[in-house]
Amino acid sequence: MQFWNYLIIRLVQAIFVTLLVVTIVFFVSRTVGNPEETMLPPLTTTTEDKERFRELLGLNDALHVQYGNFLLDLLQGDFGTSWRGGGTSTLDSIGDRALNTVKLGVAGVVFALALAVPLGIIAALRRGTTVDWLARFVAVIGQATPSFWLGLMMIFFFSVQLGWFPTGGAKEGFRSLILPAIALGLFELVAIMRLTRSGMIEVMDTDFVRTARAKGLSERTVIWRHGMRHALLPVVTMLGLSLGRLIGGTVIIEMVFAWPGVGRLIIDSILKNDFPMVQASIIVLAASIALVNLFVDVSYRFIDPRIRAGAA
Amino acid sequence: MAAGTADAVEFQPGMRRRRIRWRRYIGLSIPALIALVVLIAGVFAELLQTHDPEFIDLAARLSPPVFDGGTWAHPLGTDELGRDIYSRLLHGARVSLIVVGIVVPGAALFGTLIGLVSGWVGGMTGQILMRVVDLQLALPAILFAVLMASLVGPSLTNVIVILLFWTWPSYSRLVRADVLSLRERDFVTASRAVGAAPAWIMRKHLLPNVLNTIVIVMTLEVALVVLAEAALSFLSVGVPPGTSSWGRMITEGRDTMNVAWWPIWLPGLTLLIISLTGNLMGDWLRDALDPRLRNLR
Repeated sequence: MQFWNYLIIRLVQAIFVTLLVVTIVFFVSRTVGNPEETMLPPLTTTTEDKERFRELLGLNDALHVQYGNFLLDLLQGDFGTSWRGGGTSTLDSIGDRALNTVKLGVAGVVFALALAVPLGIIAALRRGTTVDWLARFVAVIGQATPSFWLGLMMIFFFSVQLGWFPTGGAKEGFRSLILPAIALGLFELVAIMRLTRSGMIEVMDTDFVRTARAKGLSERTVIWRHGMRHALLPVVTMLGLSLGRLIGGTVIIEMVFAWPGVGRLIIDSILKNDFPMVQASIIVLAASIALVNLFVDVSYRFIDPRIRAGAA
Repeated sequence: MAAGTADAVEFQPGMRRRRIRWRRYIGLSIPALIALVVLIAGVFAELLQTHDPEFIDLAARLSPPVFDGGTWAHPLGTDELGRDIYSRLLHGARVSLIVVGIVVPGAALFGTLIGLVSGWVGGMTGQILMRVVDLQLALPAILFAVLMASLVGPSLTNVIVILLFWTWPSYSRLVRADVLSLRERDFVTASRAVGAAPAWIMRKHLLPNVLNTIVIVMTLEVALVVLAEAALSFLSVGVPPGTSSWGRMITEGRDTMNVAWWPIWLPGLTLLIISLTGNLMGDWLRDALDPRLRNLR
């Protein structure tokens, strides 16, 4: 019962956040920019075209009427029509690209987790040793490196000079994915490693770890079954919260590696003056972030029983 | 106190601490020096430059830096249009300084205010404010920047507005968390009991107690803001073409990456060093002021 209440509250919050994003996008685009100029191709547009366009899009209506219609269209799955590519639905184009962005994001997180968790644990268990020092060095440098520059440098060394990986695109499957995933995941790697390290140091001092040791459990069992499970809780939270940053990161990385995802679609659409596409992509991305955040929050209650016990 | 003997004086904690503190400042000296260099470079860019940063000289295109076989005419070489990289780096520092100088204090001020109010008032108002704060997590700055750039074209003002909007919630979240625990403390309760006005309590009791947090976050945000500006400019949704920004220089150096290393390495390394400097200063401050914030990022 309590769980359902919680779920409903979180769902309402997620909808609220999405609605807020949609509202911001709508009002910023209708007040800061002039739809005639941003949506119509310049130069070739005549005054009659503009008039027809205003009529067609209902731009002569009052702003709140436009807003209502905009929301209704979105609810019916009509995210607008692209001005390029023969009037295809923006949602279809986004759908074609979305899988690539998800692939890149997942690969980035997997790369980060696969390296960061073991490194963080080892650094915590061997505090003050070379490993710990090395991990901290990687963290400091990794956090300060601009991801797009790192990406370009990796293309230069590993693709151009050594020829190990393709210089861009997604045509070579897994091999195409490696460099973008590293460039995207490095920042998360640092954050996860720091959290794992400090969490592990903290947990190894707790009573239940001392009890586990006193029971005569092997050190491996203590670390993996008692220590790590506890130390990874904040990592799960952070991963959920960093989703927005990750999506922002994919936009950059997709541009560096010519990766055919939603981020590249957005930037390309700007350059092509395809405003409906930009608008639809932003809304879709923001809504998916809200949805995943909701999912993380809810699943967190299953991972950490203490939250379930507490008030919703 | 009066009973203190000569022995007791020797063990006064204050004396020991003072001696150690001087050593602790060594860790700060290098980052502080770099920050000073950047500050001077940005403020006096016109005096220090050897060329107009936007002057195109195709005859001198892609000339290498002086330590890689170049001449002193262009100490750090030129890019594919023959623009002097040293002078462009100076003016890039100015762009970063302007952005940081407006965004970081502005966001800190606004974010702290919202954090104080939402933590103090609580209830429905606090909840609504926090949902707005959460928006930062749902709408990446880059998407917002892209939206603005597609509407009004790239500009420095855009960058500043977007980064302001994007960074203030970090302060609110932390300040609110602090205020929620502070408001239950005895000195606050006592202050309320004697009838102090909320504004007075916030100024005299809450603000001084969250000041450390704010200063630390501000320092750590410097690197974040510099990198964000560079990333936006790299995507050509940041500063407009014809402006020397480190991010733009990297984009422009990309095409000649295979024949000339300097147009892309030099701004990249500069960015790396600057954000490293910001992070090290932030880490140092955090360790000195408030070690419990270790997991901030």
